[in-house]
Formats: sequence, C-alpha cells, structure tokens
Amino acid sequence: MTATTPTLTDRYVDALVSRLPVKQRTDIEQELRASISDAVEHHIDAGKDPADAERAVLTELGDPARLAARYTDRSLQLIGPAVYLDYMRLLTTLLVIVVPVVAAVAGFTKLLSGQAAGIVITSTLGAAATTAIHIAFWTTLIFAFIERSSELRSATARQWTPDHLPEPSPTRRPHVATMIAEIVMAVLFAAFLLLSRTMSTQTDANGDPIEFLSPALWRDGPLYALLGIMAVGLVVTVAKTYMHWSAPVAVAGLVLNLAAAAVLVWLTSYDQLLNPAFMTAVGWPADVDRWIDLGLLIAAGIVALQGVAETVAAFVAKSFARPDWRALTHRVVDDIAEGLRRTKA
Amino acid sequence: MPDGELHALHQQELRRGTIVLACLLILKRPNYGYALLDRLERHGFAVEANTLYPLLRRLEKQGLLTSDWNTDESRPRKFYRTSREGAALADALSLDWDEMYSAFQTLKEES
Repeated sequence: MTATTPTLTDRYVDALVSRLPVKQRTDIEQELRASISDAVEHHIDAGKDPADAERAVLTELGDPARLAARYTDRSLQLIGPAVYLDYMRLLTTLLVIVVPVVAAVAGFTKLLSGQAAGIVITSTLGAAATTAIHIAFWTTLIFAFIERSSELRSATARQWTPDHLPEPSPTRRPHVATMIAEIVMAVLFAAFLLLSRTMSTQTDANGDPIEFLSPALWRDGPLYALLGIMAVGLVVTVAKTYMHWSAPVAVAGLVLNLAAAAVLVWLTSYDQLLNPAFMTAVGWPADVDRWIDLGLLIAAGIVALQGVAETVAAFVAKSFARPDWRALTHRVVDDIAEGLRRTKA
Repeated sequence: MPDGELHALHQQELRRGTIVLACLLILKRPNYGYALLDRLERHGFAVEANTLYPLLRRLEKQGLLTSDWNTDESRPRKFYRTSREGAALADALSLDWDEMYSAFQTLKEES
C-alpha cells in the first residue's frame, strides 16, 4: 500500500464532507477523523485486526449521506407528516376535477373534428394521462419545497378544528329502491338492444326478422361500448348505495357518465341509426333519424351535466346520499331575494 | 418478560430524551466525542456514534455546550463543555426527571 492510496476512512470522510456546507467542512472532518481513530484504536486494543477494526467502525457510523443529513438537520423525506395530509387533499382534489374535464374536452374536440373512434379514445386517454402526470409532478414538487423550508412548513400547517368535519347528510344513503329501479331499467334496456338483433315486428320476404337498428352500430362497436358502460355503471351504483363515501368510486361514476355521453355523441355521427330496411318496411319518413340525433345530443348533455353535478355535490358533502336539490335551490333563491332586498333598502 | 423486540422498541422511546440530559451532566467536566460515547455506554445510556456526534453540534449551536480544540496531544480533539445555560437546563431537566419518577412511584403505589 503506497501513501497515495486513500484509506476507507479517507473515502468515508470525503463522501461525508462533500455533503456538508463549506463553512463546517474542516471542523467536522477533523473531529470525525479523531473520533474514528479513537474508535479504531479501541477495537485494536480489544484484539481486532486493524483493517477489520476500521471496517467495523465505519459500518457502525452508517451511510455518510445519512450522517451528513444529521449534521445539517436536512430532511430525509420528500414530504413529511406535517404537510402530507394537505398534499394528499390537494392532489386528489386536483386530479378528480381537472383530469376528467381536460380528458372530456380533448375527446369532444377530436370527436367534433370528425376523427375516427380509435383516435378519439386514444387522445382522450392520452390527455388524461398527461394531465394526471403533470398535476402529480408539480404538486409533489411544490410540497417537497415547502417541506424543505421551515418557515413555509409552519405557515401552511393549518389548525384542525371540529368545524372541518364533513357536513352530515339528511339521508345517509340513496334509497335501495332507487338502486333497484336503476338496475331494472338498465337490464330492460340492455335486453331490448340485444334482442333487437334477433326479434322484430317486421319480417323480410324469407320470413326472417328485420333488425330495428342499423347493423353498422354493432359492427363498429358503439352499442357494445354503451352496454359495457352500463354494466360497469351498475357496479358503481351498487357501490354508491352501500358505501358512505369513496373518492375513487365518485370519480369512476363521473368518468362513466362522461364516457356514456361520449358514446351517445358518437352515435349521432352515423347517418343511419335505424336500419333502412326496417324504415322501409314500417314506412317511416327518412327524417326520423334527424330527430333521433337531436334526442341523443340532448340525452348526452343531460348525462354529462348530471354526472358533473352529482360528483361535485358528492365531493362537497363527502357522501353519496342524493343531494336535496329542492332545498338547495330554495336556499339559493332565498339568498338572491335577500340580497335584492338589501340593495333596495 | 415481554417480547424482546417490543421491549427494545419501547425502551428506545423511553430513553430517547434522556441522552441530552446525560450529555449535559457528563460534560460539566470537558470531554471529547469518543470518550463521551464510551462513558455514556458504561453508564447504560446506549447511543449510536452517528446520533451522538451530530447531537453534540446541535447542542453547541443551541448554546448549551461550548467547545475547544485541544492540541496538547498528538491527536487534536474537540472538547465539549456544558455552558452556563446548559447547566441551568440540566438542573431543570433533572427536576423534571425527579418529578416524573415520583409520579411513577405514586402510580405504582395506587395500583
């Protein structure tokens, strides 16, 4: 071993010192070197081999990065317990509100510009993923910064009082009857759609039934998509009935509503919704399709709005209990009336 | 005897705050890092070197300890000594400790 070969201690001290502020380096290095030498000597006196003694002492001191953090009181966690709850609250709130809105806007934009279904779906999912990653990254970055600044950390820590408890809801759960009605309606609708392939009021020259809906709707998949959404929707409805509150379920409900609205809009992009052969057989005028398109658009709007309103209400109340819209409207009207009276007086 | 691991965990919790008081008491007579570690261990205050050395600097920064480099011997060593504030804090903490001890005594008598 030549004099220029750094010992394990040299390497340890270098690794430690490089992580310390310049002002403290010399002092801590000298003190630590003395302490290491003392400890090594102690081990050798106890009959240990010098190399083993050095190794044992350094192992006991542990990772130099951790020791450096102890010397400088540096935080070894990205986001600590003081700000973690606020971090999670902000993150979930942002994700729940912003991601579906951005995804819906991206999807509808592609849809309106007449893109194929595959492109609409991929760009919707792509926009959702990109937005979610951005939100997660920037929120984490900001909170990691707050964690590292003691002034900010104490300034942002909110005092919790019982006023922060979620509002109690008059009925804790939507009625089971509502859930059953929804399931029955969904099953009837699905049965009608599926049976319309093999049963019809009209038959052709061979006596075979004439499909009511245009076969293209089955070929391209929008009706399957609608059935799939309805199936998942039933699971969410059941979950909402038996759970008091769950953010993921609430988001799933919103996503399903928006997806259903998207499929309804997708249906209107077809020139023929009803089977032309069926129309001829019944003798319906051609512009029936136009009225159906209009109906579908209105339905899509209602489904999307209902999804957003229900989800927002559920998030505000932290409950899946059906919001009492009538009481809510009365209160808003009363508030406006009160405001008008004051401005007059 | 309770489960060894569980005992060690709670013992560590119980002893955590006592290291500072022990340091302030021992360092009424100046001493350096490794010797202090050794004395603490011999008195039954198990503490890791990587906890003690940064702790000494923190106490010095808080004004509870003062330090001097001793270069009389071949190996220069940093000697720490309890300051006046440190001694006052040690007295206060000792009193707290005694109060806690008698509180435990009454608890044990009652039960």
